Amino acid sequence: MKKFLKPLEPLLDKGLNTAESFIHTHPKVNFFFGAVFEAFDGLIRNPKETAQSPPFIRHNYDVKRFMGAVLVALVCGWVLPAIYLYGWQCVVPKLIVSFIAGVFIADFLWVIIAREEHIAEGGFVTCLFIPAILPPQAPLWLIGLGAALAIIFRNILGGIGNNIVNPALFSRLFLTICFPAFLVTGYQMPLIGTQVIHTVPQGLDAVTHATPFTAFKTSGEVASYLSLLLGTTTGSLGETCRLALILAGLWLMKVKVANWRVPASYLGSVFVFSVFFSLILGKAVAPPFFQLLSGGLILGAFFMATDPITTTYNQTAKWIFGAGCGFITVLIRDFTTLPEGVMYAILLMNLLAIPIQSLMVKIRYRL
Amino acid sequence: MKKETIGVKGGFHLLDTYPLPFCTIIDEISSDGSPGQFQFPVTSQKVEHVIVNLCPTEPWALPNWVILKHKTATFLNMLKEIRTGYFSDAQFHLAINEKEDKAVEDAMNFAGTEDWIHVFPLCAKYPQDDPVILVQVLLGMDVNFGQDIKSLGILIVDAQTVLAMYEQGIMRKDVNSRYVVLSGTGLRENEIIRVELGTSVEKILKNKIKATGACRVFMNGPLRGNEISDLSQKIDWSVNNIVVLEEKNRKTLFPMFKADELAFTTSLLGELRRCVYCNFCDDICPVALEPALYYHSYIRGEKHKARLYHMEKCIECGLCSFICPSKLELLKMIRACKAPDKHA
Repeated sequence: MKKFLKPLEPLLDKGLNTAESFIHTHPKVNFFFGAVFEAFDGLIRNPKETAQSPPFIRHNYDVKRFMGAVLVALVCGWVLPAIYLYGWQCVVPKLIVSFIAGVFIADFLWVIIAREEHIAEGGFVTCLFIPAILPPQAPLWLIGLGAALAIIFRNILGGIGNNIVNPALFSRLFLTICFPAFLVTGYQMPLIGTQVIHTVPQGLDAVTHATPFTAFKTSGEVASYLSLLLGTTTGSLGETCRLALILAGLWLMKVKVANWRVPASYLGSVFVFSVFFSLILGKAVAPPFFQLLSGGLILGAFFMATDPITTTYNQTAKWIFGAGCGFITVLIRDFTTLPEGVMYAILLMNLLAIPIQSLMVKIRYRL
Repeated sequence: MKKETIGVKGGFHLLDTYPLPFCTIIDEISSDGSPGQFQFPVTSQKVEHVIVNLCPTEPWALPNWVILKHKTATFLNMLKEIRTGYFSDAQFHLAINEKEDKAVEDAMNFAGTEDWIHVFPLCAKYPQDDPVILVQVLLGMDVNFGQDIKSLGILIVDAQTVLAMYEQGIMRKDVNSRYVVLSGTGLRENEIIRVELGTSVEKILKNKIKATGACRVFMNGPLRGNEISDLSQKIDWSVNNIVVLEEKNRKTLFPMFKADELAFTTSLLGELRRCVYCNFCDDICPVALEPALYYHSYIRGEKHKARLYHMEKCIECGLCSFICPSKLELLKMIRACKAPDKHA
């Protein structure tokens, strides 16, 4: 790779420099394409800023690598298993639509209109979540709308670093309220043959099955744990293959992008509370291991709840955050008619993260 | 003797991240004028504890072998003579890098027969050799950053100072030169030199800086030291090393394939972003603070609030700025918050 790029480098460098000076000398061009160029330039070139105050050397870990690690984990955690389970015809168009609507339309337009934030790789992470948390047979326009909503919502709140709730989950909440019909249907059985490409834009209602949780709520039937783990049951596009998600999540924790405290306390509290309710109410509520392995819990606990911006900064408070997520998830699953509670739990705890954080700061520093 | 580290978490293995090979031949450079003299560290206060720091944690600091020459016992006998001559009631505490097995073993054997010396094999994680942390780990005393520890009867000396104290105080020789480590990407090669005190930096670096590209010169390391723009500055006893770093003030193509080329330069190695609450800064903090809190207080203009979060414990090691993936100037902000308000 390095050898291949070597002869191209001076040419490319010169070209980029010329383009940069051209953009900066033409205000109108800068207005429309400045941010786009900057985003592209930022991807392949190191910025020229140097350390002006001590320490004068810096570690080579930047936010790009941070977000890149999440992207890699998401691709290994849900994209590859989903392609195997549902076929590329189902997955790839959704990703393309999500990226185009979210990053290339919503983010670009926002940058041109609002003139305040550079385009960053964080949009890709959000847009990679959108297809994962919607049903496999969701129509493409729903994906596109979800991605655009997520990005606009995040940018309105001030961009990466200022969003108080997870934008992808907020967008799904919006879709759940506006288009409930599309969110409860479209759960296709995996591995039953791939879709014909021209049916992809609409999605198919004919193949819809109940998700394991809906099945449990209607008939009390508990799906086999092995099928839940391997992803051969129904569910949202990205949440079914729990084994891959767990492995990718563990890798994220190893490289310290995801904080291990959040998944540990989230999964732990789901287990504890479901054991507690099972002991009191018996078969009326879902058994603990079924709760751990079904629905979007694994995806939510390893990838959504660990989003560093929307959790608390204090490390002890992360335990409270995770435990709160677990408690709300079990409450919604066991005592409401809703089929799944992970989204509501994480969104609610995202909002509560701010008071929890300030409370922990007050306790720790005795203010 | 128990093994001590900075606590459960925090610190950073600079020695592993930036391995700097040194030539074992030591050049000598003399000053043009009359050289300065080593000042024997005397205090009006009675010295109760002497901490001998044989655990350099920065790769650009003077390594132990230059002074010890792998003969730890000889060094320890020098210490003994200094003690009998000057600090007869003091307890000596020896902090040694735990990886230097031979030195640790020799020191342990020596300490077995003497009751005035205590040996502490330490993990050489930066900033383990910071005075505050050394006092805390070795003596169990809490001191604040910037506090005058000499007034508490504690003297911290490094290997080179011990040697100079021995030569001047016991052997009655004049000590007018010291070892200085030259390293960095801006130099042709890393080397250790012996310079007379009072030599100018300019003379030391003559013909040693790479011809290509801009460079910046730092005294006592890029983390804790200062940048020097005036190269006519003279070397005194406090200068342990000079680091010359390449100034990468131009855009570099494909940085992901050039990690080794960009490392150990002044480049920020990333874009300035907003805090993403990644917890890297409080994971690495050696004194268990939460630097992002200071950042948020600072950008809201609430410096007084930042001081509530135990800011006085900060030892200004610079690791939070070093690790920050958003490239925030955390140390600069902390210093700004520590400084008293102008209108107050």
